[in-house]
Amino acid sequence: MDSFSPIPALAGGVLIGLASALLWLGNGRIAGISGLFGQLLPPARTEIWRLVFLVALVLGALAASCRLPGVGVGGAGGRPARLAARPAGGSVPAPLWIAVSGLLIGFGTKIGNGCTSGHGVCGLARLSKRSFVAVGVFFAVAIVTVTLTGIV
Amino acid sequence: MTASTRLPYLATAALSGLLFGAGLYVSQMVDPLKVLRFLDFTAIPSGGWDPSLAFVIVPAIAVMFVAVRIGRRRNAPVFASEFNEPEFHHIDAPLVLGAALFGIGWGMSGICPGPAIALIAFWPPDLLVFLVAMFIGSYAGALVIPSGHDRRLALAR
Repeated sequence: MDSFSPIPALAGGVLIGLASALLWLGNGRIAGISGLFGQLLPPARTEIWRLVFLVALVLGALAASCRLPGVGVGGAGGRPARLAARPAGGSVPAPLWIAVSGLLIGFGTKIGNGCTSGHGVCGLARLSKRSFVAVGVFFAVAIVTVTLTGIV
Repeated sequence: MTASTRLPYLATAALSGLLFGAGLYVSQMVDPLKVLRFLDFTAIPSGGWDPSLAFVIVPAIAVMFVAVRIGRRRNAPVFASEFNEPEFHHIDAPLVLGAALFGIGWGMSGICPGPAIALIAFWPPDLLVFLVAMFIGSYAGALVIPSGHDRRLALAR
């Protein structure tokens, strides 16, 4: 349990909830990051607010890492961010492993209409039947995938 | 000028994005290895499991739950003419298949789309590979499904 961090987790969760609440009550939009990202370019109609949100998201992480250095990973006071290495003993090059992961995430969230934010936070809060199914499936499959690949 | 290009609307999107990004950093969900330590249930017996992700998503849902209740008592959001409620309601194959494929990808790397974008702030090696791949995957998904928005809607409503 060396890495368990309940207080930053709760604080960060409240911030993410407030962000989603603000976008919903202010603009009537779901803060679903896969949807925002996937609709940046055609065939979707490009809307400037999506780009504004995503740029602000990067700046928010950067600003928080400056104001609160050393929470964990990221920023001048934190450990350098890194992606997970491919499973030990595998022969797949690391960038290929990451690329396949990215392809599956992009494709899966597009046809499934959401990810951890859109289905996980907003959908469950809206008591959406589809989101309960999606969240159950992607958490279960991710847990099985981690077990089978032994990536941790 | 449409509602979504007015300054208050864009400022709301910006503030929401800032809070979201700050939340991802503070909660350390920007660390894919921490996310993987949550998804690794095999570590539960040994005490090495990290339940932090649950401590992030539960309060986030709780705050949003209150916002949804508040929204139901209003006709419209503050800076737009209507709430953009998702149009799909039924459980269909693309939903389940998509969630499963996302689950495989998420389990392979511990990265979901929010942290993937937030990580641009810290630019770890191979992030660009991930982002390009995620975009190509998303683009491919848009081409494959729906084969006509109205048809998809008719299936899933």
